[in-house]
Amino acid sequence: MANADQSSAGTNNSVGSGMVAERLIFKNRPVILGIFLLITAFLGFNAAQIKPDASFERLIPLEHEFVQNMMDNRSDLENLGNFIRIAVAAKDGDIFNKAYMETLSELTDEVFYLSGVDRSSLKSLWTPNVRWVEVTEDGFQGGPVIPNGYDGSQASLDQLRANILKSGQVGSLVADDFKSTIIYAPLFEINPETQEPLDYQAFSKELEEKVREKYQASNPNISIHIVGFAKKVGDLIDGIGAIATFALVTIGLTLSFLYIYSRCPIATVIPIVTSIVAVIWQLGLLRLFGYGLDPYSVLIPFLVFAIGISHGVQIVNQIAVQQASGLNALMSARMAFRNLVRPGILALVSDAIGFLTLFFIEIEVIRDLAVAAGLGVAVIIVTNLILHPVMMSYTGLSKGGLKHAKKVEMSDHKPWRVLSFMSHQSIAPISIMIAILGCVIGLYYQKDLKIGDLDRGAPELRPDSRYNLDNEFIIDNYSTSADILVVMVKTPPEQCASYELLDVMDRMQWRLENVEGVQSTASLVTVSKLVTKALNEGSFKWFELSRNQSIINSSIQRAPSGLMNTDCSMTPMIVYLDDHKAETLDRVIQEMQVLIEEYPSENYEFLLAAGNAGVEAATNQVIEKAKTVMLLSVYAVVSFLCLITFRSIAAVVCIITPLALTSVLCEALMAQLGIGVKVATLPVIALGVGIGVDYGIYIYSQLETKLKEGLVLQEAYFQTLRTTGKAVSFTGVTLGIGVCTWIFSPIKFQADMGILLFFMFLWNMIGSMWLLPALARFLVKTKKTA
Amino acid sequence: MNSIFHRCFGLLGGRKLAQVFIGASVVGSSFSLQATDVLNTPSYPSELASEYLLVDIENLGQRLVAVGARGHIIHSDSRGSSWQQADVPVSVLLTAVDFVSSDKGWAVGHGGVILHSNDGGLSWVKQFDGNQANQSIIEQAEAYIAELEFELDESGGSDEDLEYELEDAQYALEDAELDAEIGASKPFLDVAFLTDTHGFAVGAYGFLFETTDGGRTWENAGDRLDNLDRFHLNAIKVLEGGNLIIAGEAGVLFTSSDKGQSWDTVNSPYEGSFFGVLPLKDKNSALVFGLRGNLFKTVNAGRSWSKVDSGTESSLMGGALDGNKQISITGNAGTVIVSNDGGETFSSYSRADRLGHTAMVYITRDRLALVGESGVELVSPSGKNL
Repeated sequence: MANADQSSAGTNNSVGSGMVAERLIFKNRPVILGIFLLITAFLGFNAAQIKPDASFERLIPLEHEFVQNMMDNRSDLENLGNFIRIAVAAKDGDIFNKAYMETLSELTDEVFYLSGVDRSSLKSLWTPNVRWVEVTEDGFQGGPVIPNGYDGSQASLDQLRANILKSGQVGSLVADDFKSTIIYAPLFEINPETQEPLDYQAFSKELEEKVREKYQASNPNISIHIVGFAKKVGDLIDGIGAIATFALVTIGLTLSFLYIYSRCPIATVIPIVTSIVAVIWQLGLLRLFGYGLDPYSVLIPFLVFAIGISHGVQIVNQIAVQQASGLNALMSARMAFRNLVRPGILALVSDAIGFLTLFFIEIEVIRDLAVAAGLGVAVIIVTNLILHPVMMSYTGLSKGGLKHAKKVEMSDHKPWRVLSFMSHQSIAPISIMIAILGCVIGLYYQKDLKIGDLDRGAPELRPDSRYNLDNEFIIDNYSTSADILVVMVKTPPEQCASYELLDVMDRMQWRLENVEGVQSTASLVTVSKLVTKALNEGSFKWFELSRNQSIINSSIQRAPSGLMNTDCSMTPMIVYLDDHKAETLDRVIQEMQVLIEEYPSENYEFLLAAGNAGVEAATNQVIEKAKTVMLLSVYAVVSFLCLITFRSIAAVVCIITPLALTSVLCEALMAQLGIGVKVATLPVIALGVGIGVDYGIYIYSQLETKLKEGLVLQEAYFQTLRTTGKAVSFTGVTLGIGVCTWIFSPIKFQADMGILLFFMFLWNMIGSMWLLPALARFLVKTKKTA
Repeated sequence: MNSIFHRCFGLLGGRKLAQVFIGASVVGSSFSLQATDVLNTPSYPSELASEYLLVDIENLGQRLVAVGARGHIIHSDSRGSSWQQADVPVSVLLTAVDFVSSDKGWAVGHGGVILHSNDGGLSWVKQFDGNQANQSIIEQAEAYIAELEFELDESGGSDEDLEYELEDAQYALEDAELDAEIGASKPFLDVAFLTDTHGFAVGAYGFLFETTDGGRTWENAGDRLDNLDRFHLNAIKVLEGGNLIIAGEAGVLFTSSDKGQSWDTVNSPYEGSFFGVLPLKDKNSALVFGLRGNLFKTVNAGRSWSKVDSGTESSLMGGALDGNKQISITGNAGTVIVSNDGGETFSSYSRADRLGHTAMVYITRDRLALVGESGVELVSPSGKNL
């Protein structure tokens, strides 16, 4: 974003290469336009084919030990995570009525035929694998829960109720209050028939159309609640689609804002067109480089658009000034190019350097974000600094626009005059006091800042999204948790069920269950105890791990496949958590690490950690580590940039202090809004500081120029505000508009990013115009003030 | 599993083969003994102890004491409104507790553990465990074999009955040695004391041990029962009048009228398992109950039985008497049955949690403590939470 230095324009740009480029461009305008048209068509064609991509692996810190352990054991863990649960709830009464059971039966069939479902493991009251078992004098007796000869009569419904009670499915397949039941469908990651990977978006859509909509319509007395990784990813991808609406709103808002600013249809439309071209190029290039649009990088086009617009406005400003001084359209455009190409490139490069610090976060999606943002900024150099003036060289400003520009130039700039008092010697100390106070308050509230996701349910989606409401429904009515930490236990082959290991796991599980935030645990030990109890006629006096290996072996013969790999060399210990808050995860991980130390053995190895909570814990650790490094480096980079530009410590302090204040306040805001430091919000700091530093650079550089011209501080500052300040405030608002629509995104972290970037863009702007001059009053040596 | 496997594999040659067969199926059974065995690991202090599996409970008058999983023993001096966890030297599942006075009590459990308390359940010491039990059985078997061999020598080596008996004894020794190799794997399932020195503990696979010195030493008394199939012995109780009764797997019932020195095998009214015995107020009267709601009453120390309609098909696990005629019995799937006429008729109730419960005890006439898979709960006689 080049907040161009208008009045110094033309003084230092008559140097060689710039002139060569200018001549080359403006002598061959039709060729240039033709090339742009071709490239845009080509990249546009590519951009149109860009695919949504919510690949799980890109969202997680692949280099973290936990994640590597998880990936190493991936094939053995597969069945633990990927399933969907469809809760079919009766609105009136309970599940024991003919109509409900009929709908449930049809629904079960429907789900059975969905492609991607592991049909043999599908479970519902209507599948034959859900059985009741009873211990009798002659051993076990059992049968499917749907009684033989079921006809929907009261007698058969009563029998069904009795069977359900004997089946032990209450709490897992049947709700505790008997008002809903679950259809449980494990999914194939790779379809064994077609060898195609599961298409989450299509699958999720089928669930909506063929399951939810169809059956809620056919039986108005039921409501359907669906949860599972596949559904969540589907919803996320759908959420990406909502971004299109925001794009339109943003364009509309920017359009009207530009018009109010310039009162010129040409100066309104052309910046928007060139910025859209920038976005098309960026998307097309992403596609060519093999990237898709994930829920994070989908936001970058908004930034590109906003940065493009702010540069466009500089060009429009320049052309207006030149045209007002009597030049024709072509010459005005050439002058604008000549004056802006250097500061423009400088500003864009500094943005890019800010983005580069994102590479400190070892999470693929964030690095992709840096790539997308970097590409976007590079593209703007070409589209907005070249295409824009070339297009305007044909049109010039409209008469109305020109008139408006002249009128503004002639006015007394009263608001700026008032604002210039910020540098006054009696106001400056007050400002600094306020800033210190703000900083103290900010630091106080910032103490509550948490790492990680703070809401229940799927953190990617809003707490009141349908997915999370469905999730809430299932958590409330079934004995189950959505937050799972899996500890992987490796042994030599055939040793995963030895008494030695199971005994240790048993002790560990109890210790973990005593950690605050742990709901329950499960493993082969749990199965072994349950089965040993069942084989002893259901007596709880036998709910114990036997020391007799033969008894252990027989008790786990029918253990769920996920609890043991094929050669019995890996078995998971599953920890169900109340939530995935960072403190909860920390407590559990810490206790687990203590336990691993406490029970060392050559015969087994406990590895942390898989499951969504394991990944979250790893992510939190990566984020926590990256946060400090990133903050330090982004500030080091911008400070260095300021230092080499101005060769003055005072300049660095003047420019960086307002940014630091904004960072502190932003963290306090996060703490207060319950937004944690996470994958989505950490980049905001880099983006906010990287882009925010431009404001200060431009204001300070103009101020310095004016001071060198011999003006007293307040007058120099007034002159700065009138020109650069105006552009800076415009830029702040434009960027704000660019990101504020995200606040309405169905995807929670996009909304969080929107809020925080909006705050940072605006506050950095305010800080640079209010606090910077106050600091300058004390730090910058000037002649005596008037 | 005893009876089921016994039936499944009976044709193939009995329990031993059944175990070998199963043992071959999944994992080799070699493992090294832990440095800290559960038999020597003190119970972990936990606030969840009163909410986790508890199996038996006893009312000492001023104090309630409950035992359960992971070596948990909890006690309450506030009629059950708050609970404290006792220090316990083991962390195995404890299956039963019995106090002869307000001070002296015993708790038994898995790993063949017998614990003793001298202070009303506040602190516990280990008196006995499965390793000692195995050793004691081996020594007894060896002595018996020696005795038989001596007799056989005396008879000139031609007594066929003695030879068979010797062969059986040698098999028994092999079994015992095999058990010892596996370790302390057999649980005690109940304990009953006649005086503060004389008591019995019963358990899985026909475990029966006796002490006459307050638990300092325990002696195998399993051979006093006619229990060739080594069925689990699930409960032992002292009836009003001093008769003893043992109830177990596959409907086995044994009674003793001489303080446990000799035992009669009772003609059982039922061939499914009994889980509990509840002595009644009258002399020689008791209820026995078990699988699928089966409930029988005796008024003559087991000589005859009458079937009582329990009104439930859930297994019944443990019961309590209010001191007079009111009886509550609990069991699996949230079942509680209540009698107001000394066990002639019962009404059946179902607790909302539908969880399994194993024992209950009267605190007052309308306030009981109920224990089971979710810990201890204060309930009405029909099992409603108070």
